[in-house]
Amino acid sequence: MTSKPVLISQTAEATHRAMASPVSEYHSSSLDSRIASVDQEIIYMCPFNGAVKGKVLITNYRLYFKSSDADVPLALDVPLGVISRVEKMGGASSRGENSYGLDITCKDMRNLRFALKQEGHSRRGIFEMIFRYAFPLSHSLPLFAYVNQEKYTDNGWLVYKAMEEFRRQGLPNNKWRITFINKSYDLCDTYPTVLAVPFKCKEDDLRRVATFRSRGRIPVLSWIHRENQAVIVRCSQPLVGMSGKRNKDDERYLDLIREANDTTKKLTIYDARPNVNAVANKATGGGYEGDEYLNAELVFLDIQNIHVMRESLKKLKDIVYPNVEESHWLSSLESTHWLEHIKLVLSGAIQVADKVSSGNSVLVHCSDGWDRTAQLTSLAMLMLDSHYRTLRGFQVLIEKEWISFGHKFASRIGHGDKNHADQDRSPIFVQFIDCVWQMTKQFPTAFEFNEHLLLTILDHLDSCRFGTFLYNCESIRDQQELRSKTVSLWSLVNSKMDIYLNPFYTPESGQVLYPVASMRHLELWVTYYIRWNPRIRHQQQSPVEQRYKELLALREEYLKKLEQLQLSDSSSPYQLANSTTPNTTSSTASTPSQQYTHLQTPF
Amino acid sequence: MLTGSRTTFKVRQMLPDIKERMLSQSSIGARSRDVFGLRCLPGECVLQRTVMVRKKLTAREGRGWLSGTLFCTHFRVAFVPQDSPKADDNADPILLGDHDIALASIEKVVAVGPNRTKLVTPNSSLKFTPEELVLYCRDMRVMCFLFDRLTPDAQVIEITYTIAKTYQPLKPGSVLAFQNAALGSVEMKQFLSNRRRDSHMNWFESASDWEQELERCGATSWRVSSVNDRFEMSNSLSKFIVVPQKVLDTELKKSFAHFNEGRIPRWCWRHPRGSDLLRMSSFQNNIYHEKDDIRNLEMVLFGCQSSLCVVVELGDELPSPADIQLAHSRLRALCLGDISSSVSVPDDKWLSTLEGTHWLDYIRSCLRKASEVSCLLRSGHLTVALQEVEDRDMSCVVSSLVQVMCDPHYRTQQGFQGLVQKEWVMAGHRFYSRINYHRESDKEESPVFLLFLDCVWHLWFQFPSRFQLTDDFLLALHDSVHLPLFSTFLSNCQRERCKRSQNVGQLYTPVNGWRDMLGPDSSSDTSDPPLPPVWDWALQYSRERRDGFVQPVAPTPPLQPLLNGNLNTNLDTHRLADAGPGSVFLLSRGAFTCPANLPPWRSGGSGAYRKSHRRALSCENVPGLERLLKAWALTELPQNTAAASGPKGPLDPYEPLLPLLMGPCMSLWRECYLRGALHAQAFSHPVSANRPHPVDRLAQEVQQLRDQLAQLSPRAAPDTLTVTPDPRRPDTNLNQSANNSTFLYSALRPKSTPPPTSTNQHTSRGPPSASAPPPRPTRDGPKHSFLFGHSAVAETRSDPRYHPPPGATKLPKSNGSSLTS
Repeated sequence: MTSKPVLISQTAEATHRAMASPVSEYHSSSLDSRIASVDQEIIYMCPFNGAVKGKVLITNYRLYFKSSDADVPLALDVPLGVISRVEKMGGASSRGENSYGLDITCKDMRNLRFALKQEGHSRRGIFEMIFRYAFPLSHSLPLFAYVNQEKYTDNGWLVYKAMEEFRRQGLPNNKWRITFINKSYDLCDTYPTVLAVPFKCKEDDLRRVATFRSRGRIPVLSWIHRENQAVIVRCSQPLVGMSGKRNKDDERYLDLIREANDTTKKLTIYDARPNVNAVANKATGGGYEGDEYLNAELVFLDIQNIHVMRESLKKLKDIVYPNVEESHWLSSLESTHWLEHIKLVLSGAIQVADKVSSGNSVLVHCSDGWDRTAQLTSLAMLMLDSHYRTLRGFQVLIEKEWISFGHKFASRIGHGDKNHADQDRSPIFVQFIDCVWQMTKQFPTAFEFNEHLLLTILDHLDSCRFGTFLYNCESIRDQQELRSKTVSLWSLVNSKMDIYLNPFYTPESGQVLYPVASMRHLELWVTYYIRWNPRIRHQQQSPVEQRYKELLALREEYLKKLEQLQLSDSSSPYQLANSTTPNTTSSTASTPSQQYTHLQTPF
Repeated sequence: MLTGSRTTFKVRQMLPDIKERMLSQSSIGARSRDVFGLRCLPGECVLQRTVMVRKKLTAREGRGWLSGTLFCTHFRVAFVPQDSPKADDNADPILLGDHDIALASIEKVVAVGPNRTKLVTPNSSLKFTPEELVLYCRDMRVMCFLFDRLTPDAQVIEITYTIAKTYQPLKPGSVLAFQNAALGSVEMKQFLSNRRRDSHMNWFESASDWEQELERCGATSWRVSSVNDRFEMSNSLSKFIVVPQKVLDTELKKSFAHFNEGRIPRWCWRHPRGSDLLRMSSFQNNIYHEKDDIRNLEMVLFGCQSSLCVVVELGDELPSPADIQLAHSRLRALCLGDISSSVSVPDDKWLSTLEGTHWLDYIRSCLRKASEVSCLLRSGHLTVALQEVEDRDMSCVVSSLVQVMCDPHYRTQQGFQGLVQKEWVMAGHRFYSRINYHRESDKEESPVFLLFLDCVWHLWFQFPSRFQLTDDFLLALHDSVHLPLFSTFLSNCQRERCKRSQNVGQLYTPVNGWRDMLGPDSSSDTSDPPLPPVWDWALQYSRERRDGFVQPVAPTPPLQPLLNGNLNTNLDTHRLADAGPGSVFLLSRGAFTCPANLPPWRSGGSGAYRKSHRRALSCENVPGLERLLKAWALTELPQNTAAASGPKGPLDPYEPLLPLLMGPCMSLWRECYLRGALHAQAFSHPVSANRPHPVDRLAQEVQQLRDQLAQLSPRAAPDTLTVTPDPRRPDTNLNQSANNSTFLYSALRPKSTPPPTSTNQHTSRGPPSASAPPPRPTRDGPKHSFLFGHSAVAETRSDPRYHPPPGATKLPKSNGSSLTS
């Protein structure tokens, strides 16, 4: 675990560790292959500690600041990828102390402000360096993931294989088949190549259905319930338009989906949008399934669009950074509506999961089927299928429902793009991870991974260090040779899994989790949204957790001892008998013991 | 005793001769207390029974529905799940089963029909057959029972009526009737009078109890005075109060008149850095004062500190009892919702409505005040006196919060119970009026104690690893407050309690047996039943529930059982010492002032006062104090680093737990206020709720392995794996091998020497200076972890946890040594 210095200090803890080394000793790892050499005196206008003098170092990956004042131990380590906007503040002639410098707006709920000496255009170099490497795409430079030289023992690109995942779900079977019709992305350029569709459906039918669905995103299977064979199918809106067009093929296709499960009398169509938005979409050629779809019922889930979500998170940032509103905190929080949106997404997913677990197939769509649809299907799958609650399974879930089905990460995050006001940006994926966090809070033993994993995912959503979240869809990723030229985030995670594991995880297969989607039980994810505030106490490893790991190690020891004794004394009447011991095997058993020994070494 | 059809039972008044017969039966020993599967208390009568009922389970209970039988007795509404194991007839009675609810806790009965809901009162008549019965309770639980289609309609209607008629809105008569129903039977009285009270906690009733506390805190220059032995000096104070050693009782007597209700400054607690915490009521200023009075006051107030006294005025920034009452009733209305009136706050207005109750604001202000006081005490060698007009409400809250924050002992279950005895029960918090069981003091009603419990919950929530007690314990205490059965809560002060127990006869034999001194054991014929203290948890909760009152893994026990008041003081102290001896400052609204006339009666001999004490006073002393408070605001940063270094880093056990009070850090005690709400389903994994904690399960596995190993290799490694033959104490053995942290819940119980016991042992041994280990150095890294073990133990043997064995062979060896130690 000491192999690499802390690269991205997310927590105060890490920041404090980083403080230990002065800038000159700053470890340049394989990460910063090309140190872009800006290294100069600067003043960081810390909103919590006031102006802090120090040195700044900018590489092609990050901005690193360390205070030179011993009394204020402070370090900043900001991947340039999280920067959404850099501005010059003040001019060469502006008066007032520290009025000349840079204003940096970040995508991860913080802003940074630096002040410099006014003489000699001192900020020009820094500004250009940041501007160039924070927005490489706007300067015809490659994203950092393409120059990153990191090596990991585990290859994260192998985590998800569509066929393997279908096979795990028991597909193909006599009702559902796998089709390669989209092999070269000509049916739908934002879908993956491997799709699962009703067995009875011909390839030509699929092509005709594609003409009636926005961007050719036809209804395809996301998940099938092993026992009752009910399915979650996802797609985009039908192209009904103002004139109320119909498409026999689409109607028949939906009925085929319904037929594929005997117990489904009516196919439930969940339209994630509010009713009015769905109607309004008719004006632009979209719409929703009408009465002509026999044997189907339509439910609107009232989830707002990407623009509403973006504004909501912006408001949340206003009340948490830098200063937290105190006296009217709860009403301020309420006025951001962030938790209310979380609640709607979760309760939509609960409805989907509930329908499916009671044996009813469902179809989920929004407008294009890559934002709200991805949220709903993936959360419902998380509730229904305990496999997705494991560390590996969760990676599969993200790879499958988000990455392969074309959630437009590039547009929503704006990787390497200087256009900070782009209306396509929206924290849809952040919202999804927040929902997952809410579930882990309500079911603390149901997930194999811990909060640290969720934080790591969100950090690298912006950082551009890994290829995982780059680009909008598979076809472009293939074109950019992403998988061969970049490293996957899962390589990092799976190379040292133990720090992402929840020690209290108790596997329960077949258990459907229904979180409470009520404002009374949702919480603000303080350790993410307010983590830059030094007053928020960061979670230390709980003593119970530590105790647990020690016990695991102790058990290992005893087991080993027992085995030895039994080998040496085979006539022994005692058997390594009962119950509990054999379930040692899960990956948790060995890794925490490594953790254990590691914990000891400092003493 | 019961007549009627097979399914319906009506109760006749019990005739004396039947009573006699029951008694004689029980004395023979045939005390089958099972009535149709319900385990009755002695003398308890079943009024009504309904079969095929389903109870809605909360998240803690695993959610879903549980089928069984619903009973209504004249003491409780009981629910017996199907196939519940038959209880042992010889087991001690437990007042309430896990699914029961005392009639006195019920606040509202609501019947839910096919298309309507109705609030059922004793006089109302139902025009429909309920499908569901919802009981709203005073402790904010909501019990929901669902009737099956097969449940006979008559039974459903009857039990609804019966509950509605038997549960009484609290009023003077009904409380007594309820107490009698629960505890009034001869058998129950006998049972209670034979119970021994918990000797592991300090009850603060006798002089020796107080002396024990003085010794524990290392407060050597204080003494226990029995000047108020007969409550002549002050009605509301306890018999024994702690005052400076150098003040004589005769001098003391003159001081009482100068304080509201005679509540003179009294010692509460000593910080290990040598600061003392005092409490007092406001000054009486309408009587004549002599010179001596001032001198006496100064002596009492400055106690043993020569340097500095800070009077903390509690009135200004803390809510009044009326504020608290209003906030709490708003909170209740908000959290419970109400299906009968169907006024429930819409979900999207929940947050702002919660804010509007001000409940969280009040918690914040209490915690803030307590944090300020803790920071003052931490600086060392000064006296902090909490002053409140009556000294019976907010000063209870603040003084006990300060002690929970600063003293790990008070974060154990036994310690906390002692704290409540000390700062609430004995200090004369008016539980009886504030809880208002009898509905006769509505103006006085105010859940000050519940506010305190919520404050403690916040501390627990922010520092779970620093507490030995759990939120389950706090919840149990919270619920017990609503049950008018406990002597702890049924009086306003010790004087009232003593009066009552004289009437009733001594209950709960103290261990040292001064029961005989108080007169004969009046056994049966008093009208009032004897009331147990709330701390007798076995009366109320099953063993499983009680096991949950403490953490599965113990946090640090106090490293040395005695605080000797001599911990290294930091630099701040020296700066403060400059303030000059005998200065008095007033802390109010976060600012210090040197009051021109702190005691309002100085007119008499003010010259002397000024001469003796004000001479060294100058304005620059005030900033010194303010720095202390500012330090509090900033501690959140340094503490952060301490926390980040985690278990490796040394952690001063007396470093106060300073909670974060920013908006996002203040959360609602959902497990208490929202547990009954009908929309609430989940707090935890539904399945694991019924299972042992993963740590527990693993601990058991390890234990099994150890046993197997020991059996397998008695000759191979006799010295490495010794299993104690004593079958009753396997966990103790395990406990020691695990370096004094515990594997199992049970290991924390007194028999395996938890911190409180050792406290007792040490105090009996000798003077603190002799028996106390040297104060623990604060910065000596590797030897200590805040989590585990006494430092003494860790030092005397090589600790396998810190020095992991390179091979498998060494570990058992060190275990062996620890077993023998």
